[in-house]
Amino acid sequence: MSRTDKAQLRQVRAAILGNRPDTSLSSTLYPVYVAVIAAGTYGVPAAQQLFRSINEKWLAEHARTPAGAMAAVTLAAVVLALVRLVGRVHGPVVPPLPYLELVVASPMPRKVTLARYWRVSRGGSTVGGLLVGLVIGAGGAIANAAPPVVLLPLALGGALFGLLVAELWLRGQLQGQPQASSLGFGRGSRPRQRRRNALALLGIAGLRRQAASNVTMGGAVLAGDLRTVRLDAARPTTHARRVRLRASGPRAVIAHRDLLGLRRAPWSALYGLGFAAAGSAGLMLSLMSARIPTVAPLVSLVLCHLGFGAWCEGLRLHADNSGTSRLLGLPYRDTALAHLVVPVSCWALTTLVVGAGLSLAGLVEPAELVWALGAGALLAGTHLMAAFRGLPPIGVFGPHAGLPAMIFWYAKPLLATLVVGTGTAAWAARAANPWTAFFWLLIAAAGVVTWGLALVDKRDRRS
Amino acid sequence: MRDVLVTDSQVTEGDIMLARRGAAAPAGREADAHVLRATGVGKSIDEAVLLLPTDVELGIAECVVLRGPNGSGKTTLLRILAGTVPPSEGEATLDGSLIDERHDLTRTAIAALIGAPATYRDLTLADHLVLISSTWSHVSGPAAARPDEILELLEIDHLAERFPHELSSGQQQLFHLAMVLVRPSSILILDEPEQRLDTDKRDLLTRILLDRKADGSSLLIACHDPTMTDALADTIVDIQPA
Repeated sequence: MSRTDKAQLRQVRAAILGNRPDTSLSSTLYPVYVAVIAAGTYGVPAAQQLFRSINEKWLAEHARTPAGAMAAVTLAAVVLALVRLVGRVHGPVVPPLPYLELVVASPMPRKVTLARYWRVSRGGSTVGGLLVGLVIGAGGAIANAAPPVVLLPLALGGALFGLLVAELWLRGQLQGQPQASSLGFGRGSRPRQRRRNALALLGIAGLRRQAASNVTMGGAVLAGDLRTVRLDAARPTTHARRVRLRASGPRAVIAHRDLLGLRRAPWSALYGLGFAAAGSAGLMLSLMSARIPTVAPLVSLVLCHLGFGAWCEGLRLHADNSGTSRLLGLPYRDTALAHLVVPVSCWALTTLVVGAGLSLAGLVEPAELVWALGAGALLAGTHLMAAFRGLPPIGVFGPHAGLPAMIFWYAKPLLATLVVGTGTAAWAARAANPWTAFFWLLIAAAGVVTWGLALVDKRDRRS
Repeated sequence: MRDVLVTDSQVTEGDIMLARRGAAAPAGREADAHVLRATGVGKSIDEAVLLLPTDVELGIAECVVLRGPNGSGKTTLLRILAGTVPPSEGEATLDGSLIDERHDLTRTAIAALIGAPATYRDLTLADHLVLISSTWSHVSGPAAARPDEILELLEIDHLAERFPHELSSGQQQLFHLAMVLVRPSSILILDEPEQRLDTDKRDLLTRILLDRKADGSSLLIACHDPTMTDALADTIVDIQPA
């Protein structure tokens, strides 16, 4: 940045601020201050409790094995891949719309006008990584899962990881731009060139889109409207347009629609497959011994919930459409049930294949396979709940409720999966006769499906 | 001959006389035909009056056009007669039964385009029509050919493989009309179907709707286009603003 650029930017900032004092430094440092206090007050005790609940000895033993290192590397790779995807929707450099239209769109160099926003995001990401490293290290040391000496390397590693996250976040934003490839900034360009030109190559159209989306999403989050967030974040479909939906019976065509939807969103189908396969394998393995920590079925069920959810886009779109003119010839509830055919079939197929593989390897028995198949009913019910929950009730926004109440309200379907699934899985792993636990899993799943259908009927009455 | 009815709060049920340019229902359609009637129907929310009490009757193979300035309650009346909004006063009936969009009889008889219908972002235009048509196949028989016919009829068959977000606003309107026309119905309720269409497409739509009427369908339309109104209407109802 040249002196002229700096001087020009100072003038712009002075014009924007007018007579008001410049509070940008304090408003940047305040979140860091809050994050440090939150990490110390809540983060470290929570990490310590988490390590203890997992079983600190088991964790200490496994953390130093190649499998432990592989798990950590895989987790880091997943986080980095997700960050890059997030960057396509919401990057690290998203100035407010007025600044974008009046300053960024001016002839001033873009790497000058955008530098401040990039520095804040990169700094925040680095400090965030440092704090996460410190929280994990301190929690592990207090819980005796790791020696205190790991604190320093974990903090440094966390800061470096945060820096890497910021870089990949920006890469994602650049790749998500409408004009990315025409500027030579697509996949073919060299890394050094990409780094040097990163800010300069952020186009006004892409920045405007992200800034506008920022406003929409910000409003939707404040209103508790996650449906708007999801629809705004989704990329428009353009794949497989020549593949036609086949005419068939009223219910069969809904299932064909969902299959076609997955074909046109292959990443959803694939990540659903990956999560569901990992989740069902983890669930089956965790049923094999009472010595396996309870956290194993818990984490497996989170993966199952995410995987099953990736196949439920048709169900969610049906729920999104309530309140508009209905053109389908099926009753509302029947359409919702027909939308469950594809996810339930995908779950059954994935579980059967994974279970058969584990069974052939001698790792699980047929009983565990049946158990995992039964969990599909629970997942169907909780995704009915999730798709048709609608907007949070007014009480969630009241002065005595706040963010935790909203998070709890949104998390109810996931909590239902975790509470019912983990409870019955832990019972089955420890009981002499696991079929009693399986019976109660099915009873609870029927209850959850009934709850989900009640929400469907409620939306039907309101629309 | 066409009658123009003026309805407002001063007009009572008994004051309105309905006389229509009289197309009789084509033979063989009586079994599917329905009579839609609004008697003193009004709508208000708290103290805001959206629609003054209004009477409308739509007989078999007739076309009633609603006219009125913006905000007079045309869309609200259409919503009530499509069974998606209950009236605050009066009664809306289909063959003597209260209209409710959730009832099979209402949904089978009435196809409504009031505002933009829901679309799936991952389906093309052709897929949407196949989906709608197939879910009505228990009423109308196999759905294989109908979607292509409707696209061709509205002259948007070249857009069959586009997704809804890839259409212009006029093309969107034609697509929405196609979604309503592809499903079987004996009553079509359309809210300003001429919106965003150029002159040629308005003429095309008028011809399609006249054909529908000749086939025995009844039409209830809110319309601001005088040419379309002249061509289609058997009865014109002028809605007065609240």
